[in-house]
Amino acid sequence: MEKQTIISARHLKKSFGTKENIQTIYSDLNLDIYKGDFTVIMGSSGAGKSTLMYSLSGMDQPDGGRIDFDGTDITKLNSDRLAVFRRRQCGFVFQQIYLIDKMSLMDNVITAGVLTSRNREDIKNRARQLFSLVNIPENTWKKTSSQISGGEAQRAGIVRAVINQPNVLFADEPTGALNSANGTAVLDVFSSLHGKGQSIVMVTHDKKSALRGSRILYIKDGKIFGECKLGKYEPDNAERTETFEKFIGEMGW
Amino acid sequence: MPARDGHGGAGVNKTKMLVLHNLRKAKGQYISFGLIICLTALIMNIALVLAFQTFDAYDSRFLELHTADINVMIPQLQDDSEIIAGIEKIDGILIAERHNGIFVSATVREFADSDFDMNTVFYNIDEARSLNRIVLSEYLELDENTAYIPVFMKELGGFAQGGSITYSVGDADYTYEIGGLVSEMQYGNYGTGLIGGYLPTAAYEKLAEEQREHVVTEYSVRTDDNADLLQVKKDITKLLNEKGIAVLNINDRAAARQTRTMVCTLLIIIFLALAAIILAVSIFLSSFRIRSTIEDELAQMGVLKAVGYTNKMILRSAVLPYTLTGLVSTVLGAALSYAVLPDAAAILAIQSGFLYTPVFDIAALLMVVIAPVSVIFIFSYLSARKIQKLEPIDAIRGNAGKGNAGQSILLSALSIGIMVLLSFAGTFLYNVSVKPENFMDTLSEESPSVIFTVQADGMSELKEFLQGDSRVKLVLEYSTAAVSYADGSLTAFVCEDFGKVTNDICYEGRSPGDEKEIAVGNALADQYPLGSRIEITASDGSADYTVTGYIQSVNNGGRVCQLTREGYGRIGGNTGTVNVYLQDAAAERFITEYEAGHSELIAASVNYEKLSENGQKLYAGIVSAVAAVLFLISVLMVLLVLYVIIHSMISRRRQEFGIYKAVGYTSGQLTIMTVKRFMPVVALSALFSAIAGIWYLPAINQTIFSQIGAAKNHFEISVWILLVTAGIFTATAFLISVLLAAPIKKISVYSLLKD
Repeated sequence: MEKQTIISARHLKKSFGTKENIQTIYSDLNLDIYKGDFTVIMGSSGAGKSTLMYSLSGMDQPDGGRIDFDGTDITKLNSDRLAVFRRRQCGFVFQQIYLIDKMSLMDNVITAGVLTSRNREDIKNRARQLFSLVNIPENTWKKTSSQISGGEAQRAGIVRAVINQPNVLFADEPTGALNSANGTAVLDVFSSLHGKGQSIVMVTHDKKSALRGSRILYIKDGKIFGECKLGKYEPDNAERTETFEKFIGEMGW
Repeated sequence: MPARDGHGGAGVNKTKMLVLHNLRKAKGQYISFGLIICLTALIMNIALVLAFQTFDAYDSRFLELHTADINVMIPQLQDDSEIIAGIEKIDGILIAERHNGIFVSATVREFADSDFDMNTVFYNIDEARSLNRIVLSEYLELDENTAYIPVFMKELGGFAQGGSITYSVGDADYTYEIGGLVSEMQYGNYGTGLIGGYLPTAAYEKLAEEQREHVVTEYSVRTDDNADLLQVKKDITKLLNEKGIAVLNINDRAAARQTRTMVCTLLIIIFLALAAIILAVSIFLSSFRIRSTIEDELAQMGVLKAVGYTNKMILRSAVLPYTLTGLVSTVLGAALSYAVLPDAAAILAIQSGFLYTPVFDIAALLMVVIAPVSVIFIFSYLSARKIQKLEPIDAIRGNAGKGNAGQSILLSALSIGIMVLLSFAGTFLYNVSVKPENFMDTLSEESPSVIFTVQADGMSELKEFLQGDSRVKLVLEYSTAAVSYADGSLTAFVCEDFGKVTNDICYEGRSPGDEKEIAVGNALADQYPLGSRIEITASDGSADYTVTGYIQSVNNGGRVCQLTREGYGRIGGNTGTVNVYLQDAAAERFITEYEAGHSELIAASVNYEKLSENGQKLYAGIVSAVAAVLFLISVLMVLLVLYVIIHSMISRRRQEFGIYKAVGYTSGQLTIMTVKRFMPVVALSALFSAIAGIWYLPAINQTIFSQIGAAKNHFEISVWILLVTAGIFTATAFLISVLLAAPIKKISVYSLLKD
């Protein structure tokens, strides 16, 4: 069965800097993201992984090209329509977590939830389920980000990202600021969500994280340099791991 | 399936959570901001309620007591039955009524703990009258030892019902038990140079018997609404002069109202100016806070954008807390002002001599709420609109750029604003309390030691004696006269040589130098440009004069002019009084000697030195208290504003401090580092403001005092006071910053970094 394309990017251009010192990130990049995939974008530092992800999610505007997200060209949307688009279609998990400080975990989640639902009780119920899913105990829900561990904060960040049931969950180096145990716990949440059908786009340069993906894209020289389809994550599948290792080896990792 | 945003347009509800979070998160900041706005609203509401109600209260009391528009006093010995008919025939007069009185130059003993010379007119409270009704607060036992006093005597003099009051007239002392207070709108304060005393029949007759030569007849008249009061006054004076009757005193409604409400007007203007300055400081403060918040929470704003909040929602969440704080604080400030207003009205009653209770004023409330809240909203919006331009990815990555230069500019503007407030209050206090003569010179014209009214043809001879007296510094023919111009009446200051006056009231151009020149008051300045011609009329004719300058005066609403003696002579007038400026001699003794030695030349004498001293007591006391309150409010403002700024600056650098602590910096070094961040800006701004005060303070004082007609301000702007103020301000900023930075010592490196 053919996969449904949820994001289609064509002829994307993006550069930074001044006229005198222009740095082209990508000049003619084409890409499709499919519904239900756990797409991982890899590449060396400065290759433009995060820039690409933020362009695909309407967080940043490309200099040229077109991005169709669920049938809408998001490069044509103004900032208010982009905000509405993001609240309906996207969820974001950041490396630095960025929970709103001095606000409880529950309120952080509700802050996002109220954007799509008027019924606060519904939001709270959904949040409770998600907190349970990511293993955050009830006695932590009223704590603020400074009162919990980084791993708990990041898992709360994931709850905030999926509270509005986004079409695509975007994650930018979600384990980058975490220790190994906390990183694994966060990755387990991603795998669990993917198992439930959540489309995910994750940027990482961490092999352990990347291995959770079902499809690996490698960016190099401003283009999608390579692609590897791994299928669903299976922790003990040595063949899958070998395929991944071989792919990134070919990419010059 | 993704959730749908099916409730578009409910942005306010969606923002509510962020607004409440912002309010909770920085409640200390909002409370201090709210306190400042509350203070602004309190001061503004006091000023507006007083502005809206004092004059109305005065007017309504004036009408309620059927107060006469003009009162003229003549010796009863010269009175005759035809006078009233003659007065009634004058154009513009509706009713004339005759009253009896005893007009004496009395010394009131123990008035505000000192003896106070006051021209006093005693009335019989039992005399039937339809005009100038006398309303007693309480009618006690009436005997020859009972007197009723005006509210002014109680408020300023410290006399109370049931106590006693002693008037010394010549060698005789008259002590009365105070039966109660009198509300009266004509001679109820000493601003008109005459105060009332009110006696029951027995006491009145006893005093009249003993002071027979001072018994007077007072003609009180009501004019029609369109009558020119000064013209009617002139006509009455002319009528009496033609009959050879001396006018002992003449007073009109407008002059009484102006003198009785002058301090009130001044205070209202000062309060409004103060509120405006505090509001301006608050605006800068809110701008400073919003900009700081935006920079501090750039990433969080990026996250909010990422999860789908629109620019408008985030903008609203930044602006609404300030606007709501402003709204609550202004309402609270206005409400609190009603606790202070009765006292404020009572303070004004000290000078005005009439007491009223301010009531709730919806117009004032609306202005107090709408004006500041609109300004807060607009400036908060202008400061926060940067949020709209933030790309979410730039915000998250911190690429939006931190405006340290902008913050320094804001901090500098705040420091300058507070310094303006402090400098204004400090200078005001200095010129009212330490150098009260500057304050008095601003409000008055010439201040000689003695004024002699000269008998006909005696001027040259008296001047010759005076000029030969070693105790005399200067002798100057100087009179006040009533003249008129095309649009009404003018008070003319007539002088033999304006080059010799001691208080030059000319604020633009120059005083007249010859008989064809004139300087006009500020009320005529727009109508008569310098060099233009104006026709002046007096009893004996009219003449054209060239306008050479503009003069200030709080008299007659600024409808005044200066004419040379010769210029006044062109319209038939002559100077009948001479100002005497003494070296160091006591005016009282000087008058006694001259009255005894030259009685054939002197018709009357005024101890102006004493009058001026009394005037200073009258105004300077109240204004000193107000100036002191202003200064205290300014200091409070300094503390609040500095707290907000420094606390904000320290809070946002906590993580940075953590890093420094981690690498080995001591808490002391961090404190110095904190202080060094902004003290140079504060100190330089304070110094700049202090030096600039030499230019801007005269302009502020000028603007305020010109509202009551004093277009030329005599306040001394002391550089040293400004520099000391700047020093105090800088030292306060330093101390507060050290105190606020102290908790850094107690915070662990880990928690600083974790924050």
